Amino acid sequence: MKTIICCLLLLCLLPAGALANDSLPYDCYNYDYWNNILYTPAPYVPDGSLGGAGLMWEGSPLGAFRSPQDLCVSPDGKIYLADTGNNRIIVIDGGLKNVLQVIDHFEADGAAQTFSSPTGVAVSQNRQLYVADSQNHRIVVLELDGTFVKYVQNPQSEVLDEGYIFTPLKVSVDYADRVYCVAQNMFQGIMVFTAEGDFTGFFGTISVKISLWEKFWRKFSTKEERSKQQLFIPTEFTGIDVDDEGFVYASNKDTDGMQAVRRLNPKGQDVIRKGLKENLGGDLVFGTVGNYSGPSQIVDVVYRDHGIYSLLDARRGRVFTYDHEGNLLYIFGGIGTQEGTFRTPAAIEQLGSRLLVLDAQQGNVNIFSETEYGRLINQAVSLRYNGDEALAVPLWSEVLRLDENNELANAGIGKAYLSAGDNEKAMTYLRRGMNRAYYSVAFKRWRNEALRGNISWFLTTLIVLIVLIVVIRRVILPRRAARRKERGHAA
Amino acid sequence: MKKGIFSGEKWKYLFYTVSHPNDGFYWIRHQDRGSVSIAVLLVILYGVCFSMNRIYASFVVNDIEPRTVNSIAELAGVAILFLVLCVGNWSVTCLMDGEGRFKDIVIAIGYSMLPVIVATTAATLISQVVAENEEAFYTILIGIGTAYTVIMMLIGIMQIHNYTLGKTLITLFLTVIAVLIIIFLALLVINFITQVYSFLRSIYIELIFRI
Repeated sequence: MKTIICCLLLLCLLPAGALANDSLPYDCYNYDYWNNILYTPAPYVPDGSLGGAGLMWEGSPLGAFRSPQDLCVSPDGKIYLADTGNNRIIVIDGGLKNVLQVIDHFEADGAAQTFSSPTGVAVSQNRQLYVADSQNHRIVVLELDGTFVKYVQNPQSEVLDEGYIFTPLKVSVDYADRVYCVAQNMFQGIMVFTAEGDFTGFFGTISVKISLWEKFWRKFSTKEERSKQQLFIPTEFTGIDVDDEGFVYASNKDTDGMQAVRRLNPKGQDVIRKGLKENLGGDLVFGTVGNYSGPSQIVDVVYRDHGIYSLLDARRGRVFTYDHEGNLLYIFGGIGTQEGTFRTPAAIEQLGSRLLVLDAQQGNVNIFSETEYGRLINQAVSLRYNGDEALAVPLWSEVLRLDENNELANAGIGKAYLSAGDNEKAMTYLRRGMNRAYYSVAFKRWRNEALRGNISWFLTTLIVLIVLIVVIRRVILPRRAARRKERGHAA
Repeated sequence: MKKGIFSGEKWKYLFYTVSHPNDGFYWIRHQDRGSVSIAVLLVILYGVCFSMNRIYASFVVNDIEPRTVNSIAELAGVAILFLVLCVGNWSVTCLMDGEGRFKDIVIAIGYSMLPVIVATTAATLISQVVAENEEAFYTILIGIGTAYTVIMMLIGIMQIHNYTLGKTLITLFLTVIAVLIIIFLALLVINFITQVYSFLRSIYIELIFRI
């Protein structure tokens, strides 16, 4: 008895595993088919943070980051961080321990140049560093060692207003060294520059939506009233990322909470896939009053791999991850001051299996590492993206073991059963996964099989019924009538 | 002679009314061929069928979260709506030279429920064997049932009050307004009662604490 109690006490003392959500400073959840919140195991857990104060550079402390606005992971796994308030770019190694380089000036046209509020940073596939030097109104292109290459500045075009001042905020580069730039007060879209630095036009313009009701009121308002009304201007982009195929993922402000990210093809058209709910705007359910109310405010997007991308919400500090079909995979993160929560999240990046979230106000980088749950989902979705759905089944069953409500896992297993020909099991799982289209396919097959197997029974019953009806009509009813008649005569 | 739901005659007449609404409702008014208890039973049946449809219609056609279905509340809702509709129609037609008694209105509305009951039940059964792209059978069935019910109700109100079609439509419109007014007044009264109750309750609690 004593030993049992001792064992139990010891069990209580054991540290909780990485999946125990009670030790996390934030909630991890997802939405089910009916938009109910379902709490899930943690897909990512805090794994330390990185502040400027703890780093050393050339023998002396680096000093705290001041309002850093952007970070970027280069193809060889180094982290480039735009320390905006200190006007410098800091390069950190992939182990997140050592500062490799601090770029605070460069040599251009024979004179030393510095940055002024660098708000965006990007590394191209051709190993060049692009810095959105916002208050100097230029994008600076450097070699990775800090040697000056060129400026991208002074866009010249008829479509730009007279006296337009170019203030780049975020920058990204594709495989052909085309530069995509989100500029301040630029509502026409993302600005695109050629590799030579010439402005070619706008990209991914978001059209303004005016409701019928607003049109109706504008008809009745006078010119004076109209001038005082809010202008109908397109929403701004907030962050950009370019995937391996050269498609641009761009997050934007969205007051409806419907679509906060776009996937732009080379012509600038939005080709993103929306899921069943037609929503790519972060939270589906939110309050209407108080500090954390309103739709999610997406400030950055990171394209990960195999069609998976994550959005960063500044309103409630959450990270939303979607797959290429627009399904919400998992949600984590929150506002706060504990490790793993943010005050003003500004940028998100992926480093291997880890996610880095830059907090501008706290001046640090929060590191999140993948849990078993997150890894299983990421791998299963990647396999589906590559068309290997059958290989994903063991992973999805593992996901179900951790989170039996996971609709994607249920649907994934159901689809596998469907292609294996086990229609009944497919129906059970597809129904749990709320996948009507595939359920229906399984159901049709099951129905046909049932019909084929039992056709003799059906036909036999039918024939017996017909015979019965004929007998009743032709034999029994006339006899009865005759008997009644006889009785009538007798009376 | 057996009465109400136990009378075979009355049941037979229900089916006659469904197939011959004009005649049927006329004689319900003038020869008492209808039965209030059958009408009430039909309304309860409709409430049951409605909930059953929401719970048991197959996954392919059913987009209702099972956890939100509360059959008792739905039954009560149907019953209350029925009662309010009858009262509303009665109050309006009283003022507009309607010949029907309250009893006739209850029977007219109750009997009109039969097509929608049959259609909903049949649709629930059919839904068990339809797949995607075949939902049309399901929706059309429910649509036909509902349309038949609406037409029967219209004819019923017209016949028992001896109205023309135009006047029936006007009274129906006024009935809807009357229903809204009744609901508004009911909510108001409930609100007042709650306030009086909480007032008395707080006095009671105050007294308990002081004494």
